[in-house]
Amino acid sequence: MTVLTGAAYSGKTDYCRAAFSPPTILDGAVCSPEEALRASCIAQFQVLIRRILAENADPVAFTEQLIHENPGCIILLDEIGCGIIPLDREERRWREMTGRCGCLLTAFADTVIRLCCGIPSALKGELP
Amino acid sequence: MLTLITGGSKCGRSALGERLLDGFRGEKYYIATMQPYGAEAGAAIARHRAMRAGKGFTTVEQYTDLGALTLPPGCAVLLECTGNLTANEIFLAGCKAPAEKITQAVAALAATADTLVVIHSEVGADGMTYAPETALYIREMAQLGRNLAQMASTVAECIYGIPIVHKGVLPCF
Repeated sequence: MTVLTGAAYSGKTDYCRAAFSPPTILDGAVCSPEEALRASCIAQFQVLIRRILAENADPVAFTEQLIHENPGCIILLDEIGCGIIPLDREERRWREMTGRCGCLLTAFADTVIRLCCGIPSALKGELP
Repeated sequence: MLTLITGGSKCGRSALGERLLDGFRGEKYYIATMQPYGAEAGAAIARHRAMRAGKGFTTVEQYTDLGALTLPPGCAVLLECTGNLTANEIFLAGCKAPAEKITQAVAALAATADTLVVIHSEVGADGMTYAPETALYIREMAQLGRNLAQMASTVAECIYGIPIVHKGVLPCF
């Protein structure tokens, strides 16, 4: 598994295409969790987590299932935790779940890459 | 030679930028982009002026339309910062594509100057959903950061004054 992270619009998708050439990049903002379990690459994973929460399902259980059933997947995950913790309970819950799922993914992944202004740095493993 | 310094706000980017130009022997210009509205902006401007005092910078104020600014060839320039410039372009000048406009202006400036240091801000890592104009600001800022990083010979991210070099080398570290 490979995790690409960084701020919103930091260049994750462009870098993913250039470095890994996945056959398709599934959009976590519209795909079903079932589709994600079979995808070679999932973008906007943080939005998929939000949608799973909205269905009253458990994103941590889903992430564990993803790691188990789709261990070669490339995950694109925005860093979202650098602002003020929001007053809204659901917003806080989304951040917390995104953090937990992100940590599960990076703990399992052999490669974790962070983009800054389009420039990749390996946080774990090596750049391809 | 273009150096891009990015990072969160108040993380020591300016001091790092100033330090990079410490050894420069020619003319040094500081491009200020913050409009002096309100006590908070006034205090920030005063603090930055005090930081720069005695370092030989000539201050030039340019809130929008960076491309209209002409500086003498071979000078050193500290541009502070893209966050203000982009906000001014969107909210004062009504520009819908400030990233492209500012990229072109920086390219022209980099071609004239001996050394150009640009201070940039990371604004897209808080997970918030914003009103369309603010969302545009965040998208354009990220686009500008990617454009400038591609153009720059050196890119560093600043964390409490400590640079993480993502591209090239920082001469004084």
